[in-house]
Amino acid sequence: MTRKNHSTDKPLVKFDQVTYQHYGKPTPALVDVNLSVRRGSFTLLVGPSGSGKSTLCMLLNGIIPQILGGKLSGTVTVDGHDVSNTSVQELAKSTGMLFQDPEWMFATLKVEDEVAFGPENLRREPADILKSVEQSLNYVGMGHLRNNLVWALSGGQTQKLGLASVIAMETPLIVLDEPTANLDPATTHAVHQLILRLRDEGKTIVLVTKDLDEFMAEADDMILLADGRVIAQGAPRDVVTKHGKKMLDLGVWLPETTEIGLRLKALGKPIKQIPITVEEAVEAFAETRFSPPQITAKVERKENVLIHAQNAEYTYGNKFKALRGVSFEIRQGEIVAIVGQNGAGKSTLSKLLVGLLKPTGGELTMFGRKSKQWKVQDLATQIALVFQNPEHQFLCDSVREELEYSLLAQGIDDKTIVATRVQDMLKRLEITETSDSHPFSLSAGAKRRLGVATMLIAGSARLLIVDEPTYGQDRRLTESLMNLINNLRREGITVLMITHDMRLVDSHIERAIVMADGQKIFDGSPDSLFNSPEVLERASLRTTNLRRLVDGLRARGVSVPDGLNTVDEFIGAMQ
Amino acid sequence: MSEHSLRYVDNGSIFTRIDALSKLIWVVFVIIVTFQLQTNLARGIMLGLLVIVTVIFARVPFKSVWQAGPIILIMGLLLFVVNLFTTPSTSTIVIAGISFGEQAFDRGLEFFLRITIMVLASFIFIWTTDIRDLMTGLVRIGMPYRYAFAIFLALRFLPIVQQEVDAVKAAHAIRGRASNSPIRHRIRLWQRYMFTVIVNSLRKAESTALAIDSRGFGAYPTRTYIKNFRWTMTGIILILAFVAFATWLMLWERNLLPF
Repeated sequence: MTRKNHSTDKPLVKFDQVTYQHYGKPTPALVDVNLSVRRGSFTLLVGPSGSGKSTLCMLLNGIIPQILGGKLSGTVTVDGHDVSNTSVQELAKSTGMLFQDPEWMFATLKVEDEVAFGPENLRREPADILKSVEQSLNYVGMGHLRNNLVWALSGGQTQKLGLASVIAMETPLIVLDEPTANLDPATTHAVHQLILRLRDEGKTIVLVTKDLDEFMAEADDMILLADGRVIAQGAPRDVVTKHGKKMLDLGVWLPETTEIGLRLKALGKPIKQIPITVEEAVEAFAETRFSPPQITAKVERKENVLIHAQNAEYTYGNKFKALRGVSFEIRQGEIVAIVGQNGAGKSTLSKLLVGLLKPTGGELTMFGRKSKQWKVQDLATQIALVFQNPEHQFLCDSVREELEYSLLAQGIDDKTIVATRVQDMLKRLEITETSDSHPFSLSAGAKRRLGVATMLIAGSARLLIVDEPTYGQDRRLTESLMNLINNLRREGITVLMITHDMRLVDSHIERAIVMADGQKIFDGSPDSLFNSPEVLERASLRTTNLRRLVDGLRARGVSVPDGLNTVDEFIGAMQ
Repeated sequence: MSEHSLRYVDNGSIFTRIDALSKLIWVVFVIIVTFQLQTNLARGIMLGLLVIVTVIFARVPFKSVWQAGPIILIMGLLLFVVNLFTTPSTSTIVIAGISFGEQAFDRGLEFFLRITIMVLASFIFIWTTDIRDLMTGLVRIGMPYRYAFAIFLALRFLPIVQQEVDAVKAAHAIRGRASNSPIRHRIRLWQRYMFTVIVNSLRKAESTALAIDSRGFGAYPTRTYIKNFRWTMTGIILILAFVAFATWLMLWERNLLPF
């Protein structure tokens, strides 16, 4: 597909020797940053967790330094305005920003009021605003929802409304900070298509995302940040070609096709260019021969059933039927993913499993006892749930106390045993140095690990449920969490994950339960799931980049064996 | 799907179609009249009227009323109990085999009815009012839009804080209990609820504040509106009908009706 290139050499954004330190923080978040964003260009901003991406975004609309303060040196110019001496409100005419969780950016109750909110602040004529509202809502496919209440929208609609609100501001620059982090794969794809349409219409876009698959070939520029410094800026192909290995080392998520190219290059294999799309990868590996993958030893699955659901139903007080006759079994030693679109019933199911809700119909048996016979506290000795926001589960003022609390809650009060177990867990999770820190002050990755630790330290839990393990985590942090989970599995703990991350499902999961509209529509291996297009479509899922590569190669007549679900397996099978 | 009691629901009822300022004036009148009433019978009639308004004119779902029940009743019940035990009485009454001081019972009931009427009237307002209409109405009568919007945001935040409390409660429940003393455990949990809910609510409030500023809020001393405030005829009828009813009720309880 060809597109008109709107990008010009004229910079819309310019950072000149910019160093910024957040108020009260000992080290700067951005160091000596020099960069420019050309008018009409599409720029990807990438880097590991904590590299300064969100800080940089907040400089683009003046939230930094105008509201958040801190120390700023150097100059940031946006659309001709120096952000140091231009108010945020004035910069709102130049920069529209969509946040990760747009629910917090909503200022009104109704969809059309929300879209109108920004233009009203800028004192545009009501007739003109109404026209903008209609156009923006139609643009994102939500024209029919203009009179709906914002809190009645689904996750995808919420994100699209956020985008419509930004579009209605008619700013030359649009900044999108991880706009699809909470969305199911098909909705993520739909939002990506909207972003590409905006780019085609000449908007200048700066996008922070870990889902680079659809953008690598479309973006004009990529800026790589690490520890607050710009490591590289240039065309995505040039950046990954020159700095790809570093990106992998830093923990930046890259498309699997690109990762394969980089890994082969690092192994000294001849490769003409690093593929940045599935099509390029198919072309690059069309002559390759593959041998069957080596069978890796699987963790033993035992036959005893831990959870048994038979036509389980749950209806909320407002008569919303979240679960409609769901049946499944979870056996000891399994690693299972529950996947499906936003609102499919996954969270309700996890609440039933930990006893926070009781089924309103059907049967749910857990560890040999009916769900209704379990008290939440007693069930907590058998099932550990790690929340998407681990802060919700913290109860104490230090990491050490948090772990001690979990032991005491399970009746373990011998001081020597408590001290030994806490010390062991701190070491195992590599958080010993933060043992006296407040749990809220930890990094995102450490909070997640502490969340797991608090639920498992007592050693009695037999089932671990993790809600969105990759949410807000870079590649390195995800790998560290998955290593921890895999080690726990080897110790006999059964694992259940609720996730939208298809790459995670393909690489770590043995069985996937797919939910749609409160029903189980699939239960089987990831291999058979990804070969069931009708299930994928109904549940708003998409295959992985790697699977699309394998399908592309097979379509070209290349014999590719089954079971190549990870980059390692793909490379290992190449002859 | 979340279900919360303190939310506006656009159910197309007569009350949702009345303009926000008329409803606000009605709530103020209800409160003033409640303090002018002299007997518990009259207060009971007033409470009955509000229940009719809630169920018939505002068509608030029973679920919302049920969920909000503890919030509506708790203050009134507390004051009832406090007065029951602290107000001196010269005579006793027996209800369900239990003796109470008659004056103490009356005084307790008076406080219960007053508080419950005030809270229920406010809730009817919240359930049936798009707060944006209130904001534009307040701007129409001269309030600077920044202040009007502060009221709007505070009301918008109520269900969000409630949602946060639910999430924290659920997360804490599955952590188990680390103390043999249920009271100590409860106190600790409450401290933690407060801490986590306040920290997360402040963070969310900050995110909202940053987001609305970055959408130009406060850029100019005035702003435009796609929907301007309009007084509604039903609003005027509501106020007049209530004034007539309240006048009748006050005269009736004072035996001042001419017929």
